[in-house]
Amino acid sequence: MDNLQIGRHISGQFNEDLERVINNVMHMGGLVEKQLTDALVAVGQSDVDLAKQVLSNDYQINAYEVSIDDECTRIIAKRQPAAGDLRLIMAVVKTIADLERIGDEAEKIAKVALESFSSSQQDLLINLDNLGRGVLEFLQASLDAFTRMDYETAIKIHQMDDKINREYEALMRQLMTYMMEDPRSIPQVMTVIWSARALERIGDRCQNICEYIIYFVKGKVVRHTTAEDMKNL
Amino acid sequence: MISISPKILTPGSDIAIEKKLDLTNLTPEQVALDINKLNLFYGKKQALNNITMSIPKGQVTAFIGPSGCGKSTLLRSINRMNDLVDDCHISGEINLHGNNIYDKHVNVAELRRKVGMVFQRPNPFPKTIYENVVYGLRIMGENNRRKLDEAAEKSLRSAALWNEVKDRLHESALGLSGGQQQRLVIARAIAIQPEVLLLDEPTSALDPISTLTIEELINDLKKQFTVVIVTHNMQQAARVSDQTAFMYMGDLIEYSDTNTLFTTPQKKKTEDYITGRYG
Repeated sequence: MDNLQIGRHISGQFNEDLERVINNVMHMGGLVEKQLTDALVAVGQSDVDLAKQVLSNDYQINAYEVSIDDECTRIIAKRQPAAGDLRLIMAVVKTIADLERIGDEAEKIAKVALESFSSSQQDLLINLDNLGRGVLEFLQASLDAFTRMDYETAIKIHQMDDKINREYEALMRQLMTYMMEDPRSIPQVMTVIWSARALERIGDRCQNICEYIIYFVKGKVVRHTTAEDMKNL
Repeated sequence: MISISPKILTPGSDIAIEKKLDLTNLTPEQVALDINKLNLFYGKKQALNNITMSIPKGQVTAFIGPSGCGKSTLLRSINRMNDLVDDCHISGEINLHGNNIYDKHVNVAELRRKVGMVFQRPNPFPKTIYENVVYGLRIMGENNRRKLDEAAEKSLRSAALWNEVKDRLHESALGLSGGQQQRLVIARAIAIQPEVLLLDEPTSALDPISTLTIEELINDLKKQFTVVIVTHNMQQAARVSDQTAFMYMGDLIEYSDTNTLFTTPQKKKTEDYITGRYG
């Protein structure tokens, strides 16, 4: 948290407000990470109970989003933050929106575990598991970088999304072949496609979080830029 | 077909609503005041250290900084108010139209006609509202009633005060509220058509609504005048100014367009000051 230099405000109350917001974002991030992990385990092990637990826990993430949002609004109204403080608040507001959506995607993935797959279709799920592991790693790295507001790591891991996109495309091709070979499997394959899509979207959202970190630290907007440009920051 | 080249977007530059000026590279037509290596001493104590900056024409430039940083001193140097302080000496130049205002042959009264000033506390003369506004013109020898009437109405309209006082022009100015008095003083300052208007914490004695009225007025005034404002209220600087200069202990620390200074300041001292951190 040192990178944030939150503790140096003359107003101790302001320090506390910002610290509370950051701590809440970390809790929310931890919760989102757990939801995604559980969703992937539920799918991998066809654990219906765990999947139901994921579905019933999503409200906590939503509650965090609403309360952090509220707190940020209050800080803007009362403190009129400027410069780094302002960028921090903006980064937080955007990050929690992405985290909330990641929570929703985890919910979608968990629903796959509620479907029944024949034993011959189990290998479909293994591919999903591979993709899932890569995405989970990206999410963990992004949250870790956010906690430390580590801009160098954010730039480095920003590219992890490319790998995820490639894996996603490969999986799509495979699933397409599967459907062509056995049209009766289409309903199950579609379920897998939806959750693969959800994983791919989570990758995009992790990338957004990296961009907010760079915005906070450097004041540069790196959305919609190429990898080449990122190197020249 | 619109082609957009992928490049790093910098807030306030690429698709900026208003194009920002390059303050280090203004053309002579864009410059209202050119301050060059200005040093100012009160006795042995140096209050301004080698200040160099260009203040653009037709814009609002704000000076911010902690108490005693020299922002008021710098503002007062622009119309030579510091001449009135004993033991104050100055080196360097402030150029208005390429002429140094500290040259020996400069007529200070004439300079102050071109560079008007409004202070922290409204200071109307104990005269009628009308006489306050036309005071400067009378001193300059204007006695034509019709011209004075015209100037009074125009100035009071510019100062957003006309509608409130048009039926009581010949009543005492001291009967006006603080916010109205301050706008009256601004009307008085602009009646003689200065080029530059210096505002030294013009709203620090006013309530929030009067403050907003004055801020709105400042925004209108920059169409006709170059405005330089000193303020303790950072949000005010952020709201009203186009450029902001941050000063600290007599040094000009950072000078850039206001949007940049308040979102992505380049110097740590600036960041600490505007976010309210210990220096």
